[in-house]
Amino acid sequence: MVEDTEFREQVLRRAGSEVLTCIQCGTCSSSCPTAHLMHPSIRQLVKLVLEGRKDEALNNRTIWLCTSCLLCTVRCPRGIRPKSVVAALKDLAEKEGIRSPDAAYEELFLKQIRDYGRIAELPMTAKFLLSSPGSALQSMEMGLEMAPKGKIALEIDRVKRPEEVKKIIEELGK
Amino acid sequence: MPIGVYVCHCGLNIAGVLDMDELKRYAETLPDVAVARDLPFSCSDIGQEQIQKDVAEFKLDRVVVAACSPRLHEPTFRRAIAKAGLNPYMLEMANIREQCSWVHMDRPAQATQKARDLIRMAVAKAALLRPLERETVPVSQEVLVIGGGVAGIAAALDLADAGMHVYLVERRPTIGGYMALLTDVFPTNDCSICVLAPKMSEVFNHPNITLISYAEILNVEGSVGNFMVQGQKRARYIDEKLCKGCIDQCASVCPVEVPSEYDFGIGKRKAIYVPYPQAVPLVACVDPKACIGCGRCVEACQADAVKLEQEPEEFKFNVGAIIVATGWQPFDATRKEEYGYGRYRDVITSLQLERLLNAAGPTKGEVVRPSSGQIARSIAFLQCVGSRDATVGNIYCSRICCMASLKNAQLVKEKYPDTDITIYYIDLRAGGEGYEEFYVRAQKLGINFVRARVSRIEQEDGDLYLIFEDTNTGEVKRVKHDLAVLSIGLEPDRSADVIGNILGLSRRPDRFFEIAHPKMRPVEAHIDGVFIAGCASGPKEIQTSIAQGSAAAAKAFKLLQKGELELEPTSAFVDRDKCIQCKLCVDICPKKAIAVESPAYVDEAACKGCGSCAASCPVNAIDMRLFSDAQIMAQVRAATEKKDEFPLIVAFLCNWCSYGAADLAGTSRIQYPTNARNIRVMCAGRVDPDFVLEALRRGADGVLIAGCRIGECHYVSGNDQALQRVNVLKEVLGKIGLDPGRVKIIWCAASEGEIFARQLKRFVDELKEMGPIGTELRAGEAQEAT
Repeated sequence: MVEDTEFREQVLRRAGSEVLTCIQCGTCSSSCPTAHLMHPSIRQLVKLVLEGRKDEALNNRTIWLCTSCLLCTVRCPRGIRPKSVVAALKDLAEKEGIRSPDAAYEELFLKQIRDYGRIAELPMTAKFLLSSPGSALQSMEMGLEMAPKGKIALEIDRVKRPEEVKKIIEELGK
Repeated sequence: MPIGVYVCHCGLNIAGVLDMDELKRYAETLPDVAVARDLPFSCSDIGQEQIQKDVAEFKLDRVVVAACSPRLHEPTFRRAIAKAGLNPYMLEMANIREQCSWVHMDRPAQATQKARDLIRMAVAKAALLRPLERETVPVSQEVLVIGGGVAGIAAALDLADAGMHVYLVERRPTIGGYMALLTDVFPTNDCSICVLAPKMSEVFNHPNITLISYAEILNVEGSVGNFMVQGQKRARYIDEKLCKGCIDQCASVCPVEVPSEYDFGIGKRKAIYVPYPQAVPLVACVDPKACIGCGRCVEACQADAVKLEQEPEEFKFNVGAIIVATGWQPFDATRKEEYGYGRYRDVITSLQLERLLNAAGPTKGEVVRPSSGQIARSIAFLQCVGSRDATVGNIYCSRICCMASLKNAQLVKEKYPDTDITIYYIDLRAGGEGYEEFYVRAQKLGINFVRARVSRIEQEDGDLYLIFEDTNTGEVKRVKHDLAVLSIGLEPDRSADVIGNILGLSRRPDRFFEIAHPKMRPVEAHIDGVFIAGCASGPKEIQTSIAQGSAAAAKAFKLLQKGELELEPTSAFVDRDKCIQCKLCVDICPKKAIAVESPAYVDEAACKGCGSCAASCPVNAIDMRLFSDAQIMAQVRAATEKKDEFPLIVAFLCNWCSYGAADLAGTSRIQYPTNARNIRVMCAGRVDPDFVLEALRRGADGVLIAGCRIGECHYVSGNDQALQRVNVLKEVLGKIGLDPGRVKIIWCAASEGEIFARQLKRFVDELKEMGPIGTELRAGEAQEAT
């Protein structure tokens, strides 16, 4: 029984109808570099989609953990693109107003690029600390290790024509 | 040209709907009709006798029977008129039951009208019938079997035992194929070579079999019954008559050692070798790639059998039939880079494991880790390597690997009860007699099963780690094993490509040879007189391969045992004066029956009469003996002579599928509109654009062409060609201002009566929408005028 046929169709339209041919072999999950953090696994995510279980498919961390490395897509024996399934779910989640747990950070990240054309690490860290101190503190430890090794840039670096990057981002946002 | 017309009541089957008296009276008025009668049951003895009496009395030279489908009783009436002294092909039937009375039960008046038209069409065609003779041609009663694996051996032995002479041609130095290299085989776990070796020697000793090993087929010409085969026996640098097969004397002095292909690279052999002790023929062979020409073997051989100067030998013979049993080749496991085969020594293939387990193999039956030579204590079997895998282009299941791994796991477990064995599988497929029981046996032996497809293998400190998701629990795991066995799939043998091209065999998308029908004709090729057995047409286990070998033998025997072939006179023929040698027909012919010689020449033994060549010939130089251009044209003209219905549809139905579908709609009493006037053709590809244009020119509102479903054409690609022609026609119609929708092409299998009826109904509706033919022209003119 398919719980929500329309939801299933929405995903299939975006990710391709070959998703229907999934044999649940788990090659995608076991190829995934972040699999250990994912619950449900990508394989289970595909199953949730096929069963039209919209709530479970959209409300989970898995879809936000995908790094788009495409190993799942390269190895799938059925020629399915599990990465596209994840992308479709992210897209639908955003339409439903479901935000990634790291949405705050991602927005800051994007703003930086829009403003400077690349990431300026120090101001970025400062702003992140202000906006969501909880999450930021978690990453502080690594930052402290990196700083003495010269791995954190202190100065604000701009690209030559940041307005062009801005244009690109605006174009993409349409 | 006196014609007799017989309108059959078929009890009430026809007479219950149609006005029989009216039909009889109408038939009497048609040109050349000397006598018309209505008969209660024309197929009964009384009916047939009446026809025979009339033939004598009215000196009839052709007969029209308006009754059931010709697919049912055409042979009956042909026999009946032949008894009366007429040529059996001077018969035409009008299908007024399946395609009329049974499908228009509620509209007797229109149905009778349609029946009148069908009878008129039949009479018009009958006037153009010509006497045809069934030709018989003498055939060779010898058979070529290509490939000496278990399927080829089964075919050769059955034919030879039945008394036919067989040429068995094998590419390798020995027959036996892959089966000879396996250890024990499922589901009985009996020793493979022990059951096969006696069959191999039987082949060698059989008086009716000429075994040509280490040889290749270079060319085949001719057609069913008379194939001329040409080939070459490669030089094995050994005099086969002198060699005793002792091998010790020559091989012991040979200084060159290379990996043995008969051990899949894990064992070694010398440059002069016998593949394995049971090889047939038991004759040494020198590998020219490895041999350094030192000549020590020449000195060592007491029989003086080594001949390093030997040349390849050509051979030629004629056969009546060919059995293709070219088998398979293992999937190349290095293509799955993530499994590390070729980089990690302890990752081996299932075939290498067969050799390790084999008491005659390189380790004398010990299952060891190649890296250390130690007995493996923890073994993983990875299923579906190179099968069910779109990334390597093999979507199909190789069928035997689940059972082979279950078997090998059992053999290891029985030999080393403490060994930990895990089979990683996507789906375990154990369909076959005694197969599920075999699976249960493996489970009871304590073999582990994990439902997972391993995503990669890593090697760390000499151990292998498998990474996979146990899909039953959802955990992603990394598990250590000593030895990983890749269950490699079966692929079509690449060296069979040459044979395929020579014979003109077609291939399925999975690249295996295609059989004539995926269900009903499992061992026949599309080419008459050519049969396919064993893995050449897809992965198969031993028992099925043997069954197919025997089946192919039976088919070949049936074909040739009379010593002559009777040919249906359906073939095409060329008007040599008209032919402009464009060779279009040569490309189009699915049976390779038209020769390139100029002008074109049709091999009537090979031609099956689809008529696609006739439809494609730009100068109408090709015509058909049955269903000739003139006959079909006469039917088209007769159909459009009176336009008593709107829309009037001329429908061309292919004999095998759509005509069958229309008949089935009748037997299922599916009711549909009466507008179509059906014309039977052998294939949708037969429909010449001229027929269509003539029908429209003479006032038909639409033309329907119905063929087999795409991919199911009985002549391989006739329906594709029909589609191409219809697309071009539609463009032409558009250009002259007619609605391209007036020509419609549909596909229905013989089982799809419902679809035929629905499609026809839809077409009628579409044509009603368009209005009578020419409406669009007048509309166009009107528009221009304003």
